[in-house]
Amino acid sequence: MGNVVQRQTRGALRFEVCGNMAGLELLSDQGYRLDGRKASELRKVQARMGVFAQADGSAYLEQGNTKALAVVYGPHEVRGLRSRIRHDRAVINCQYSMATFSTAERKRRPHGDRKSTEMSLHLKQTFEAAVMTQLYPRSQIDIYVKILQSDGGNYSVCVNAATLAVIDAGIPMRDYVCACTVGFVDETPLTDLCHAEESGGVSSLALALLPRGGQIALLQMDARLHQDHLESLIEAAMTACKGVSKVLDEVVRQHLQEVSVLSGE
Amino acid sequence: MLKSKIFVKKTRAGGVMKIVREHYLRDDIWCGSEVCAECKQESAELQRDACIESNLCTYPHYVIPDTNVVLHQIDVLEDPVIRNVIILQTVLQEVRHRSAPVYKRLKDIIHEKEKHFYTFTNEHHRETFIEREPGESANDRNDRAIRVAAKWYCQHLKTSESDADGLKVVLLTNDQGNKQKAEESGLLVYRCEEYIKSLIGNPELVDRLALSNDDKNEITSSKLLFPEHLPLSKIQAGIKSGSFLQGTFRASRDNYLEATVFIQGDGEESTEILLQGLQNLNRAVYQDVVAVQLLPRDQWVAPSSVVLQDEGAAKDDNEEEEDEEEKALRISAAEAARKPTGKVVGIIKRNWRPFCGMLNASHIKESTRHLFTPADRRIPRIRIETRQASTLAGQRIMVAIDGWPKHSRYPNGHFVRSLGSAGEKDTEQEVLLLEHDVPHQAFSQAVLSFLPEMPWAITPEEMARREDLRSLTVCSVDPPGCTDIDDALHCRELDNGNVEVGVHIADVTHFLRPGNALDKEAANRGTTVYLCGKRIDMVPELLSSNLCSLRSNVERLAFSCIWEMNHKAEILKTRFTKSVINSKASLTYAEAQMRIDDTTMKDDTTNSLRALNKLAKILKRYRIEKGALTLSSLEVRFHMDSETHDPIDLQTKELMETNSMVEEFMLLANISVAQKIYDEFPDCAMLRKHPAPPLSNYDILLKAAKSKDVEIHTDSAKALADSLDMARVEGFPYFNTLLRILATRCMMQAVYFCSGMDTDFHHYGLASPIYTHFTSPIRRYADIIVHRLLAVAIGADKTYPDLMDKQKQSALSNNLNYRHKMSQYAQRASVAFHTQLFFKSRGILNEEGFVLFVRKNAIIVLIPKFGLEGTVFFDTKDKAAPHLVFDEDGPTLKVEQHTFSIFDRVKVTISLDASNIQHQKIRMSLIEPVIAGVSVPAPEVEPLAKKPKLDR
Amino acid sequence: MAADMRLPTIQKPLSLSVSDFDRKDLVVPGDVITSDTGFMRGHGTYVDEDKLTASVAGEVQRVDKLICVRPLKTRFNGEVGDVVVGRITEVQQKRWKVETNSRLDSVLLLSSVNLPGGELRRRSAEDELTMREYLQEGDLISAEVQSVFTDGALSLHTRSLKYGKLGQGVLVQLSPSLIKRQKTHFHNLPCGASIILGNNGFVWLYPTPEQQDEEAGGFYTSLEPVGLSDREVISRLRNCLLALAAHKVLLFDTSVLYCYESSVHHQVKDILKPEVMEEIVMLTQQKLLDQEG
Repeated sequence: MGNVVQRQTRGALRFEVCGNMAGLELLSDQGYRLDGRKASELRKVQARMGVFAQADGSAYLEQGNTKALAVVYGPHEVRGLRSRIRHDRAVINCQYSMATFSTAERKRRPHGDRKSTEMSLHLKQTFEAAVMTQLYPRSQIDIYVKILQSDGGNYSVCVNAATLAVIDAGIPMRDYVCACTVGFVDETPLTDLCHAEESGGVSSLALALLPRGGQIALLQMDARLHQDHLESLIEAAMTACKGVSKVLDEVVRQHLQEVSVLSGE
Repeated sequence: MLKSKIFVKKTRAGGVMKIVREHYLRDDIWCGSEVCAECKQESAELQRDACIESNLCTYPHYVIPDTNVVLHQIDVLEDPVIRNVIILQTVLQEVRHRSAPVYKRLKDIIHEKEKHFYTFTNEHHRETFIEREPGESANDRNDRAIRVAAKWYCQHLKTSESDADGLKVVLLTNDQGNKQKAEESGLLVYRCEEYIKSLIGNPELVDRLALSNDDKNEITSSKLLFPEHLPLSKIQAGIKSGSFLQGTFRASRDNYLEATVFIQGDGEESTEILLQGLQNLNRAVYQDVVAVQLLPRDQWVAPSSVVLQDEGAAKDDNEEEEDEEEKALRISAAEAARKPTGKVVGIIKRNWRPFCGMLNASHIKESTRHLFTPADRRIPRIRIETRQASTLAGQRIMVAIDGWPKHSRYPNGHFVRSLGSAGEKDTEQEVLLLEHDVPHQAFSQAVLSFLPEMPWAITPEEMARREDLRSLTVCSVDPPGCTDIDDALHCRELDNGNVEVGVHIADVTHFLRPGNALDKEAANRGTTVYLCGKRIDMVPELLSSNLCSLRSNVERLAFSCIWEMNHKAEILKTRFTKSVINSKASLTYAEAQMRIDDTTMKDDTTNSLRALNKLAKILKRYRIEKGALTLSSLEVRFHMDSETHDPIDLQTKELMETNSMVEEFMLLANISVAQKIYDEFPDCAMLRKHPAPPLSNYDILLKAAKSKDVEIHTDSAKALADSLDMARVEGFPYFNTLLRILATRCMMQAVYFCSGMDTDFHHYGLASPIYTHFTSPIRRYADIIVHRLLAVAIGADKTYPDLMDKQKQSALSNNLNYRHKMSQYAQRASVAFHTQLFFKSRGILNEEGFVLFVRKNAIIVLIPKFGLEGTVFFDTKDKAAPHLVFDEDGPTLKVEQHTFSIFDRVKVTISLDASNIQHQKIRMSLIEPVIAGVSVPAPEVEPLAKKPKLDR
Repeated sequence: MAADMRLPTIQKPLSLSVSDFDRKDLVVPGDVITSDTGFMRGHGTYVDEDKLTASVAGEVQRVDKLICVRPLKTRFNGEVGDVVVGRITEVQQKRWKVETNSRLDSVLLLSSVNLPGGELRRRSAEDELTMREYLQEGDLISAEVQSVFTDGALSLHTRSLKYGKLGQGVLVQLSPSLIKRQKTHFHNLPCGASIILGNNGFVWLYPTPEQQDEEAGGFYTSLEPVGLSDREVISRLRNCLLALAAHKVLLFDTSVLYCYESSVHHQVKDILKPEVMEEIVMLTQQKLLDQEG
């Protein structure tokens, strides 16, 4: 296709071509991405559990330059609307927010705007699939996630951070929930997109996975993609999620050891 | 796979934005050399014995060019001699940023296995990444990055093998400062010229060197000829504030001192700004994107009607002469005719490509500097430096522009390659194809590998999937000698009294699967190009002339569009199906016409032809009633000598009833298919539209008609069609045809587009609300896409990603439009060339013609017999100009006593002017009316052995 | 006033010996504990395709055929007889709702409290209307778990004079897993303050009452100002509790007392500085070991 675009230089479409020139090459011929990763490599993931004493569970997670803080309260008595009480399971209440300083442009972010409401809903759906809510009838679990710095893949980072927080709170889950975004460039799936890649007009997909059983907790995609590519994209996303789960697993085990050593047994 | 844990923050300030990006450094980036034992690369690009004979570097070495060397000397790098080059990522990115064409070429080189070019991703390598230091400019930082990488290679290759075959790396840079610093750090560094000149085995490479800055100074006088170009920042500010306008520079074909800048406005709006005079053109070259500044209104001028070619001697000091020419341009123009006039203040983007043309050898024998005249008149002449002038004289060569300093009359360039002797048919054809950017290389092995294996037969499974229409009486009607038959027809009575009509189109998409090399090649070519005596196929011949061609008495795969109609040609039912057919006859138009007319023939084929013909006439009537235009342009056919392939006769194409019969059904099929695919894929159907021309386009037609007291209405297509039908002048039967020729030139180009990207689908010429191309998949790629869409729509095939992507579809249709336009130009150019050959063999002819246009100093005459247009100049350089009075309103031109206006009948003598071998011209001189001092006496014409037949 | 400010630092993990790693009894959610079907599924596990799988991160505990995973941190799982400290969140018909750090709010029935006037006092309709006068939203109480409902909610009672409304003091909320089960959870510490170590992780520190007022019935609280020395002792205790909790030391009267003793060399406000905290806790642990040995 590169050839075709080239030809238009002489036609009326020169603006498009100029735009293209200024644009970024998301995947070089040598197989490196803008930040030097290969197509299937994740960003560096770092995490800590139990960062707050007052919450039941909390975790901080960095995936490259995207940083999120997740806090879990509960299970506890349903507060506020009594109609939300479910007699067979716990309700999960998620709230997603972004810090004013989280993006390049400083911006006040009021609660409950469309984007964060949607994100909250997605988080809720994701965790309802993983948390064993049936064990706690009539109660409520609050998961609050805040993006401290945003550099792409906000949803996935939130899910990963919240998983750690839920584990920290000792709330039973079937498995970890790991999420990852995957984009599609030059017939190649790119794993764990950063902001520059996300904004480069890539059709991307976010997937949350229970890695051991391979069940998909949530799949979200709002760009156009041909169905032929979907399978390879999901495949790549699942591999990436499994990669994330390995990292999380390490973090949890490390934390477990530290704490159990402390409690002196 | 080890991922480096170090990362560095990159910041980019713009306003208060602070962008932080991760930058991973890796230790798994290999050096790419065969010698290296340390790196775990799978395949090494760089060879062990990287030898090239050079008296500077006598040892094996790899070359690392810096950005400017790549940008300017890409022609040298492309030479097969240059191998084992390391392209650093820093360089590649800078090139990408600065020049898209060079970037594309560089990537092509890198992909070529034999070139042994290796891209080293130095920016992500743990040891070669550097951070910009405070106070260091981006360029300096990149230069340093290049040096650091070179240094790394030096050490890396040294340590990797102790017995060292003395492998070294050589840095090429033309930047003095960079060179010095590199030398200080102990690198081997040369200037590009130095290095190339040291290559003993290949002296011809020197010619391909682009001139660098220091060389230019010697050549030209220090006198500034042009105003300085503004820097990009100022231009952008100017464009933002509205004081400058951005547009594409379009040089005039007829007048080298005049050009327009085409400004694309929002949506439909677009304006043109006139530029006049060398100073105002200010070194812009055809197709550059430029910034222009409008002149004050009192300096506005009208486009001149003068035809002016840069005939200046190959010297620089012909300025006075030019000044006069420029003055001549400016003379009085009616206030009304003045157009917005401006001057170029800066170049936003150059769009230079290599140009074909010929060398004007310098008068001084030993001189190495020569002027080069491009074949395209819109391109200025280029100064090049070569030692091979004597061999290149008389040859067609390609030259690339390197730059255009402000004190040089002509741009500087360098020789790229030779195409062959001028005037030879093969060379000329090559030039023609190159100039029109027609991909014409033989199909590569990769492409051919996707062809079906021979012998080929329809498999039973395929048969089961398709409708078996072999029993139908299908036949094809095409021009004589046609081997790529892509359509066939059938017609039969149904039991219910209705008729069934089928259009069967070759099923090319069965063989052309999406995304493979064959498909990509076809998509790039876009169309088959028909030149006189040569066809540049879009798909390989096996498909175009055999497997896809619907020849008679063989089983072929087809895509059929079948209607049930009543006898009033109203469509009752339409269906589409993939099928298998067996054509009963491949006829020419004439043969088909004969069968229809011959009342004694009663066979099935003839009967169905008659029925089709009857329906076609009704369809045509409907169409014309709706306002479809019948326009006219003269097309000629050459009768070629079968051995020499020289044209021996020339004939305007005849139109028979059968032509129009086939056309009618093709139109009908196209419209039916267009509707179907649009219904199914409102977002990504590939359609064809023909926008209504703006009313101002008709000016010339209206004026011309008025001169003969004929009224033409242009409010709608219908009105135009009707008034054209009514336009007749007593005793001038050819008037109507001429008028239609003029009307054709008022029209807009029909274009392909993607339905999701546009809202106006109307086809003006055919008076159809929707239209597409379905019927010629062998020779047009648009039809391939339409076939695929239709196949999906009827469930016969499945989609693939690009088909559903409207951006990609849109990009594809732009390419198809471009290819289509270019193929038409190439075709015209080919006809013109063969016309010249024809007249060369014929000597001088006297013919009758009509005045088609009137210009300030010339009339353009159409010779209907040959479909030939030529210009009769009245002011030749060697003679005193006759008294000329030009009246724009007529338009008329008064030469001495005689007044010429449009449609005047004149007699001219035609001869070939071969004085300029590059632009051989058909020269026309006036015989009648006789004007003293202007017309020439009719020369003796040798009686021709065979007189060309003329039907009109 | 000079404030002591610090940047966050990474805490050096307390000597992790190699043997501590690879502990087989630590599992994370999704880990298969056993595929032997002979075991019974306890808390923190679930059965997935006949495999007993962990659903929380923690320690595997095996009691005969029963396998449980005890998470590191969890809400309070009350058992009958547990002493809890809680806060009234709601006053309902004949009952109070009490937040006790368990998954659902606990219930304190009007019938399970000792109203002023002795144990044999009849509860009248008037009592129902004046429930707020005894306990209102926000009040802290100490109580004992009477029974556990099927949904896991706790039913409390205060039918002993040691339970009832809490007056002046400091509440420290800690993880329930840190409270060591003991015979008594009410202690009058020799340092001059009293402590209620609620099994639910809520710890109540208060000045030791002068005389045990039998008749108080637990509903009247003294509003007498507390002396500075008492306040300081209580503050120090609070910080000691936090220090012990940060280092996951089990809480019971001895550990708290040892910690208090270890901290006397430092100012109260310095106890929470990581290095001081570490030092104090080390000393405490040392003393505890000495006592055991």
